[in-house]
Amino acid sequence: MLDRGAGMDRDILLRATDVSKSFGAVRVLHGVSFDVHRGEVLGILGPNGAGKTTLFNMISGDIKPSGGDIRLGEQRLSGEPPFRRCQMGIGRTYQIPRPYSGMSTFENLLVASTFGGGKSEAESYAFCARVLQDCELADKANTRAGSLTLLDRKRLELARALASDPKLLLLDEIAGGLTEEESKQLVALVRRIRDRGVTIVWIEHVLHALMAVADRLLVLNFGEKIAEGDPQEVIANPEVKRVYMGIEA
Amino acid sequence: MTSVPLSPTDATLPKVTVRRQTASGRVALTLFVIALIALVAMPWWAKTGTIRMILELCCYIAVAQMWNMLAGYAGLVSVGQQAFMGAAGYAMFVLAQTFGVNPFLAIFLSLLVPAALAVPCYLLLHRLDGPYFAIGTWVVAEVFRLVASNMGWLNAGAGMSLNVMKDYSGFERNVAMSLLCALLILATIGGSYWFLRSRYGLALIAIRDNPVAAASQGVNVGRLRFMIYVAAAVGCGLAGAVYFMAQLRINPPSAFDPMWSNVAIFIVMVGGIASIEGVLIGTLIYFIADRWFGEYGASYFVVLGVMTVLVALYARTGIWGAISKRWDAPWFPISRHLILKAEDRA
Ligand SMILES: Nc1ncnc2c1ncn2[C@@H]1O[C@H](COP(=O)(O)OP(=O)(O)O)[C@@H](O)[C@H]1O
Ligand SMILES: [Mg+2]
Repeated sequence: MLDRGAGMDRDILLRATDVSKSFGAVRVLHGVSFDVHRGEVLGILGPNGAGKTTLFNMISGDIKPSGGDIRLGEQRLSGEPPFRRCQMGIGRTYQIPRPYSGMSTFENLLVASTFGGGKSEAESYAFCARVLQDCELADKANTRAGSLTLLDRKRLELARALASDPKLLLLDEIAGGLTEEESKQLVALVRRIRDRGVTIVWIEHVLHALMAVADRLLVLNFGEKIAEGDPQEVIANPEVKRVYMGIEA
Repeated sequence: MTSVPLSPTDATLPKVTVRRQTASGRVALTLFVIALIALVAMPWWAKTGTIRMILELCCYIAVAQMWNMLAGYAGLVSVGQQAFMGAAGYAMFVLAQTFGVNPFLAIFLSLLVPAALAVPCYLLLHRLDGPYFAIGTWVVAEVFRLVASNMGWLNAGAGMSLNVMKDYSGFERNVAMSLLCALLILATIGGSYWFLRSRYGLALIAIRDNPVAAASQGVNVGRLRFMIYVAAAVGCGLAGAVYFMAQLRINPPSAFDPMWSNVAIFIVMVGGIASIEGVLIGTLIYFIADRWFGEYGASYFVVLGVMTVLVALYARTGIWGAISKRWDAPWFPISRHLILKAEDRA
């Protein structure tokens, strides 16, 4: 039998087909379908509670979809536990940081690099140091993650996801609370990560950051996809303007 | 399609060194080795009574450290580790007494029993959360006790004696007990330290701090918890086999005595959870308290209970936690200190 996945475009890294999720009687996502192309930055916009984080949780395997299908390349993800999805190349950050607070920043990265990235511990040392430098955390390498500021915890989320050497990087609101200068640096960093060949899906409220780097945008509202495509066209879309008040300002 | 290299090339990687050992760690390691030698040499410096007392101390250290690995790291709060102590103890008695296996060899063979029993127990218990898991482990230990009380070939409620030990001289028995003490400490304390220093130790601490993030970073949380559970069962089994060999007698209430879990919880909570140092400190405090106040009976258990609660309320990290906040001088350092060469500092 032929299905959508069988003849899948080699250009497509992740394909979500008709994905839905209910928590009890509450439907949070209704049949959302989209593709993530290899090498692109896909931005996801949507008001609070639209279901953006829930979508990430289903890609990373933290929660199971109520329906639909998600594929990474040719491979179906359903049934794969989160740790294996990470080893398959999906790295993610958490909107509310989840550091390993009892370990140092550097050791946080070592976990991802050795278990997620499959590197030996010795190989991981220099690699993780490099990632710390990229994420402006080198001078806090030996600081206990539990004592980092919120900003540094957000940096750590990104650094730790990078340390697992992902093919697909899922970023969940990492720019909130940054100064303009800091958010410019973050955009430059995201661009460098993309230029290394990493495909990125970035959920972000800070619109100018997203517009500066996204190749395409997808907009969710109340669990439904209301727009997808070229960033300029998407934000010009009247429905998007209506639901996403921030854009009109 | 060509794949783009994802990681930075070697040329762009900074020069780094990672420091694992500390001065305090070196001192403690030296003392640890000396302590092991002193344990092995006990027949030449200690009386039989002293050896028995130290053997009991070693058993407390071992059981407390196993509980520490379970509750302090893997998030598995068990109150039923006595199940595996009794199972190994009985297995050792049956092998040595019923089947005539050399008792010292029987100790090692008996460890297969807790290992084999831990597998179905874990499969049964691992779906239970928090307090339900704890209650489950207690139920398992009670079931083991009831089964042992009703098995004819374990001499049911009357228990068994290890008469074969009479074939060995007092000195030979002291040598055996001393070697077993050293082995018990090496296996449980040395083994835990080795494990915690390895990359699996990193994963274990990650699980303790945030199991959801650990899983999304590639850690097979379920398998690691399972491994710890089985290892702790074997560690407690070794302590049980050694303890009951020294006792020369075993019966269901002593073999599956919940006192072991109570004491392990006291030791780890007061000494400092999630640290080997805490286990050593806590055991020492327990042992001294036991010698001084043991004669007062039940009221002394109340004192231990009150102490545990006070520490849980006001000093979550126990005595070692308070010490290490003030002085950064671990006895068993497991951290990895990154040193970036100056020209590469960001
Ligand atoms: N584990 C959960 N149980 C119940 N409801 C949830 C759970 N996670 C998210 N939700 C609900 O699903 C909706 C979407 O949440 P979320 O995906 O976090 O939104 P977003 O990230 O777009 O702000 C919200 O109404 C939220 O309350
Ligand atoms: Mg969210």
